[in-house]
Amino acid sequence: MTDREVDQQLVERVQRGDKHAFDLLVSKYQRKLGRLISRFVRDTAEAEDVTQDAFIKAYRALPGFRGESAFYTWLYRIGINTAKNYLLASKRRAPTSTSFDAEESESFEEASLLREVNTPENELMSKQVVGVVQASLQQLPEDLRSALTLREIEGLSYEEIASVMNCPIGTVRSRIFRAREAIAENLRPLLETSKGKRW
Amino acid sequence: MKQSISALMDGELFEDEAENLLGEVKDDATVRKNWAVYHLIGDALRQPDHIHCDLSAKVRERLREEPVVLVSRGRVAKRKIRTWAISAAASLAAVSAVAWMSLQISPEGAPKMAMQQNAARPVNMQTRPSSNDYLIAHQEFSPSAEMDGSASYIRTVSYGGDEAPVKNIPNEK
Repeated sequence: MTDREVDQQLVERVQRGDKHAFDLLVSKYQRKLGRLISRFVRDTAEAEDVTQDAFIKAYRALPGFRGESAFYTWLYRIGINTAKNYLLASKRRAPTSTSFDAEESESFEEASLLREVNTPENELMSKQVVGVVQASLQQLPEDLRSALTLREIEGLSYEEIASVMNCPIGTVRSRIFRAREAIAENLRPLLETSKGKRW
Repeated sequence: MKQSISALMDGELFEDEAENLLGEVKDDATVRKNWAVYHLIGDALRQPDHIHCDLSAKVRERLREEPVVLVSRGRVAKRKIRTWAISAAASLAAVSAVAWMSLQISPEGAPKMAMQQNAARPVNMQTRPSSNDYLIAHQEFSPSAEMDGSASYIRTVSYGGDEAPVKNIPNEK
């Protein structure tokens, strides 16, 4: 199955009445969608609200989603429209009124702008999360670190990673899981103790 | 279970495995947390400058007020059938194209194969004892006595460029 097919399967579950499947889609895309909406809505709290609104609108519109485009492309269109409507309703102008689409939003890397809109509290938490993830990654054995990096950063499939690392696909699957789980073990205490358990 | 979740988020499970797994974890909050943490790790590695707080709890809270989404099974099934039909048509077209191309390259290939198969079959001839005596008596006249098949009837002809063609040379036999 491809990533798109996994999304389609989750969508079909939601269409059959499984709300929990939509939770998984929210967990998966909330940061991508939030990053996109931050381009329109500079205030962090407002951007969070608009992101939530976009997910709710997507949920309501899901019966009409036929899978002709990828789910995330469809979701991002909803995100852009929701952000623009929000700005129109509050009589403000969208910073980028037209001329970009979901694909472009994937490559958006204006970190300075994003740092600008973060509150000190969020920024500190972001730094802690990223710090723990990166420190944990560095502590991993080389084979686990390579497997996870090839997957998460380079975006290679298990088959391609197996070819690069010269090992069976089952070993790749196990290494990636062990790497994730080792990092997650270090991350969970931070997420559990954070204020309001919002992470 | 956790390992399967990890593979699912990478799109590395078969469709039926994914369907079974999603069915099993439907009401399992721990699995949803693992899914969320694994995605957070991926996002932190890919876009470390934009990691914000988790919105899923808030969205979940708001979804409680939303009616359950239900799409008729017929429509979902129709969509699947259409997808399957397109795949099947594409496969059929590909097979037809390959078959047509192979026929273009070697139009007599298939009949030749069939003929060879027939020729290779063992022959089981029933002969009477009297005819065996006749064959043994006339064996020296058989064209296959010294050379196989029609080879004894072949006459050698060669052609030497500017030189005059060599006339047929009668077989020495």
